[in-house]
Amino acid sequence: LLTTDYPWIINHDHSKQKEIADWLTMEIRDFVSYISPSKEEIKERNDTIGRIRDAVNHFWNDANLHVFGSYATDLYLPGSDIDCVIISEKGDKDSRSSLYALANFLKKRGLATDIEVIAKARVPIIKFIDPRSKIHIDVSFERINGLEAAKLIREWLNDTPGLREITLIVKQFLHARRLNNVHTGGLGGFSIICLVFSFLQMHPRIISNEIDPMENLGVLLVEFFELYGKNFGYDDIAITTANGYPIYLPKSDWKGLQQLRSSFSLAIQDPGDATNNISRGSFNLRDIKKAFAGAFDLLTNRCFELDTASFKERIGKSVLGNVIKYRGKQR
Amino acid sequence: QCPHKWKKVYCTLCNSKRHARDRCPNIWRVYLLRDDSSQQQDDNNEKKQKLPIERIYCYNCGVNGHFGDDCPERRSSRVPNEDGSAFSGENLKEDMK
Repeated sequence: LLTTDYPWIINHDHSKQKEIADWLTMEIRDFVSYISPSKEEIKERNDTIGRIRDAVNHFWNDANLHVFGSYATDLYLPGSDIDCVIISEKGDKDSRSSLYALANFLKKRGLATDIEVIAKARVPIIKFIDPRSKIHIDVSFERINGLEAAKLIREWLNDTPGLREITLIVKQFLHARRLNNVHTGGLGGFSIICLVFSFLQMHPRIISNEIDPMENLGVLLVEFFELYGKNFGYDDIAITTANGYPIYLPKSDWKGLQQLRSSFSLAIQDPGDATNNISRGSFNLRDIKKAFAGAFDLLTNRCFELDTASFKERIGKSVLGNVIKYRGKQR
Repeated sequence: QCPHKWKKVYCTLCNSKRHARDRCPNIWRVYLLRDDSSQQQDDNNEKKQKLPIERIYCYNCGVNGHFGDDCPERRSSRVPNEDGSAFSGENLKEDMK
């Protein structure tokens, strides 16, 4: 049996491609389809949410459960958790007592194990594991901003070919380096999407309509790491999507931008609230930028190496493997 | 003084003196252009002026109208950009430059 650290290349050899950039494009597509959920996995997720939704409706008949985050935008990696929010007619389900009441109810019904009620946080949530599917669930209360963001991201995905593919690769890249957790200063999912959206929507070859991004995912991925690892002026520039498409904004022109502990910080204007910087928690920008620059060096060095290799030496090789370090279960 | 002998670097692919042939960005910076030869005749003139200046922004100073590689301001990032990046006026079709 053939084993490899890069399972997405099994039966998908592109080593005969003339251009390394095309090889990389094909490998990106292979990886994306490899990590994309199967029909069974999608059904399991939908069934899990269905069970919790029914229970919530039963417990509070004026409330409804909605999903947002990566599950709602189809940008999740295998094993990632599901974000939900409970919204009620009266808007009174965010009290501490209702958090505990719902947690107890879910436990009694056998719908939740490993329950944590985080009532004191800025955004109070219940965290638990669905015992049947083992999926991790986060439930928040009476906040619509996550739902609005998910709706906006779905529009961006519709209008921006390549956004889904590059975002999934960058997410996996940061996940492998533990740089995707906002609690430890990493980049959150929404910030990653904004960076990729802004990169694609401002790329010279894309705004001039010269290229189809789906046919150029390889070179675009390298150039994404080039922009945010080497060139982007983090000290001076903010990203905004206020006009529907992304543009840069000198930080000095952003009224209401909160002072951060360092000028070397990422600033992305929240499309739903112009005073909010959605990446203000990503305080570990130094490591994030270094990681992006490292990815650029790894990828370009790999391209130079494979460019001089013989076709025989190239067979079965991966361009992307060392960069994304996928260490998940075999799928 | 540098004890090593100065080694001349020259790229036979793009004529640059900043890298050798085997490390030329042109090895990976390759675009598969749209195949719109059939459309070209109909809207050739229209396409020429299509470059939307309102979407060109500078990664270095944030101002509209030029790309980051072409910025006259002091460089904000401390990582050098020796060979140029995607965000350059050079990275456009001839008729759009």
